[in-house]
Amino acid sequence: MRTLDGFKRHWVLAFSLTMTALAVSPTAVSGGFPEPGDFSRGASSWANNCSRCHNMRDPQDLRDDQWVTTAFHMRVRAGLTGQQTRDILTFLQESNNVAVAQTVAFNEGSAPASSSLSGAEIYTQGCVACHGANGKGTVPGAPDFTKTNGRLSQSDEVLLRNMSQGVQSPGSPMAMPPKGGNSSLTEAGLQSVLVYMRSTFVTQ
Amino acid sequence: MSNNHTGHWRLVLATVMAIAIPLSATADENYDQLKAQVELLQQQLAQVQQTLAEYQQQNIEKEQASREVSREVSELKVDVAEAAAWKQPNTLIHMSGYADVGYANSENSDGSFNVGSFSPIFHYQYRDQVMLESELELEVADDGSTDLALEYLTIDYFLNDYVTLVGGKFLSPIGQFRQNLHPSWINKLASAPPGFGHDGAAPVSELGFQVRGGFPIGDMFANYAVYVSNGPQLLAAVEDGEVELEGIEAEGFGSDPDGEKTFGGRFGFLPLPGLEIGFSAATGKAAVTGIELAHGEAEEAEPDEHDEDDPEEMAPDFDGDFSNEPARSYDVIGADFAWGLNTFNLRGEYVRTKIGDDEIGLTASHGASWKSWYVQGSYHFPTTKWETALRYTDFDSPHSSQDQQQWAVGLNYLITGSVLAKITYEFNDGQADSQADFNRWMFQLAYGF
Repeated sequence: MRTLDGFKRHWVLAFSLTMTALAVSPTAVSGGFPEPGDFSRGASSWANNCSRCHNMRDPQDLRDDQWVTTAFHMRVRAGLTGQQTRDILTFLQESNNVAVAQTVAFNEGSAPASSSLSGAEIYTQGCVACHGANGKGTVPGAPDFTKTNGRLSQSDEVLLRNMSQGVQSPGSPMAMPPKGGNSSLTEAGLQSVLVYMRSTFVTQ
Repeated sequence: MSNNHTGHWRLVLATVMAIAIPLSATADENYDQLKAQVELLQQQLAQVQQTLAEYQQQNIEKEQASREVSREVSELKVDVAEAAAWKQPNTLIHMSGYADVGYANSENSDGSFNVGSFSPIFHYQYRDQVMLESELELEVADDGSTDLALEYLTIDYFLNDYVTLVGGKFLSPIGQFRQNLHPSWINKLASAPPGFGHDGAAPVSELGFQVRGGFPIGDMFANYAVYVSNGPQLLAAVEDGEVELEGIEAEGFGSDPDGEKTFGGRFGFLPLPGLEIGFSAATGKAAVTGIELAHGEAEEAEPDEHDEDDPEEMAPDFDGDFSNEPARSYDVIGADFAWGLNTFNLRGEYVRTKIGDDEIGLTASHGASWKSWYVQGSYHFPTTKWETALRYTDFDSPHSSQDQQQWAVGLNYLITGSVLAKITYEFNDGQADSQADFNRWMFQLAYGF
């Protein structure tokens, strides 16, 4: 390939870099940083991008501030967009809380009245990113809830413990974080979403 | 009359006394009752006063306790504020990196333990605007000394969500192995595919400026990197009395002897989640800046008989001045892909580097090209900590002693997601009795931190 003469090419380079710098707007310096991302999109981006090159690290491997620098390092290295970076960072920061071991008892019948959100609402907000609206899973290794004798055939005790404390599914490069990363989810909420999943995805 | 009057007074007196005596008795009773009531009231008053005193004392104690709690809360607020300030100030500092140790045994040499490398990576980030990244590479040499190298040092300026300006010494964006896979905790095998390590077919690093980022295309994504750099330098060698091109050193030099910049980049496309297809290219000029014995001869020479820094010894007609060496054309093309399905991963990469002809100068000779490709599959056994990897590589260079075809098979134990124990065996096929022809096995413990 024929190249420009050295002098002219240097000016082309300088001009290109200058115009690039002027054409874009740096992020404003105010308030906290980075801006919060979307937890659900972050889970999906994390599963689809990170495992392409390396084994998945446990979100609890790093503190929130350590994930910031790590996420921005990977933004450069993996060619992520700024929004993807913020989404993944939000997912990791909300998923690195230490699981609190607790026994979640299941009440037969309808969901407890203390849950402020319905099971469907909780599922749509926190679970759908990885498990999909149809329960078949959207990220590698996510179980198919509609499968006969599948994951939902397990006992309520096992399922609630896994939902509460997190679980590594067979074939999945990433573990589901405790409570799906939503540490504010209550015992009643877990029960509600399990009722929803059983009633929606389990085919008789 | 007077008797009668006296009689009346007596009557009155008697009547008064008759009345007064019972009244007196009644008054005594009332007095006693009142006295008892007063005494009772006094007791109750004393109890009330005692209770009040106790209550006041309790209030004082509670007030003191309240003040103590308030003071502790204030101190806690300060502590929390200080902790929050430490947690995420404008400038974040973080050290990550990787290291590996192990054992290697080749067919033509005795096995030995080794420290592959210790590669700390420093991150200094100012908010979400600027990040300084630097990776050092420390290795223990065969003679026990420590080699230190700057793998990369960049200042990354995040211009917007889709553009990052990167300046400094950076990993070559040509292909995927060098910029994404070379850390030992990421590489599924204990060795790099032939041609993708140092001095191979693929460039290692560049020194210049780079613009890179990613952007969505509907539901799909793409990423890109374009750069301008000083480019590589060439190494010549004396072989059969002739000075020939020996190799390309594309390791981010801080000077540009040929005076011509190198331009290059990579475009990656992700049509599906888990699938990435990339194309790379670079073009520029490069000149010979060093000379050494040919590969085979250098190996046979005794250390005191050969000094790579003394080209005159090896090429008697050479005056040691490379300034007249002409700039040759330097062109690189590459393609790569990576695909993941659950815990199965398949990837491959091709790269070819071509150096043009030179009609004048010490190294007047035909051009040469180096090319290599590999395909690698890996599988993590579900519900276990075990994974396996298989890779085939074909590396072609202008020197038959360097050509190599390699099958590498590995079994890894994932202690954690970023700590691996790896056993790798290489089936190597190259020129008979050359280093490229000997099989070897390696054990490696790699830690990404």
